[in-house]
Amino acid sequence: MFEKLARITNSHLQRLLLDASRRARGFRNWYWESTCANESEVRGLRLLKEWLSPEQLAQFETHKYFDVTGCHSGKRYRLRYGTGMNVCELDHAGRPLAGWCFVPKDGLVPGDVVLAQKIALETDELAAMAVAKHFVVRRPGTVA
Amino acid sequence: MAIQIVMDHKGDTRYHFDPKDADALLRAEERFKELTGAGFIAAIRTASGEPAVTRKFDKAAEETLFFPRLVGG
Repeated sequence: MFEKLARITNSHLQRLLLDASRRARGFRNWYWESTCANESEVRGLRLLKEWLSPEQLAQFETHKYFDVTGCHSGKRYRLRYGTGMNVCELDHAGRPLAGWCFVPKDGLVPGDVVLAQKIALETDELAAMAVAKHFVVRRPGTVA
Repeated sequence: MAIQIVMDHKGDTRYHFDPKDADALLRAEERFKELTGAGFIAAIRTASGEPAVTRKFDKAAEETLFFPRLVGG
């Protein structure tokens, strides 16, 4: 009797927590988008989200970054929302290995920059890396 | 309706056109050539949703995205 009651309560509690977490994430994203500097930035963000895969979108909504796989090398890169020095090559364990900087020629809003980088890495990685400039990234647990 | 999306300082500019309208299709093709000629990269999405770069105007593409060429930052 108590076991059954505990199971039911546990299941209700889990659903409640899941729902609360979903709402909190929704609110956080709404707040984040509403604090974007201007309409241009919001448009860029919308366009980026339209072009992300479902997995990338889920990762982006949670962390404000997403991973892509280079079409030629199979290497993984992490793209953070930003306009420069935001591409990080990851090692097999998902740790940052090297930073790469390449951006669209014209000044664009962050969403557009990240989307251009994603498409470049997924469709012509070699061309993107041919122009990219390397920068050192600090690995977690190391002193700069 | 098909769409051409051009990234710019405003975020993007969108050009909608009816691919069944010959004139509209011609204008879209001219825009494609003009933009790629100016160094823009054109990308479409495959049936599975993955991006693909295209160097030729695709009449059947529902959505084409143009972004400026990439340079080292």
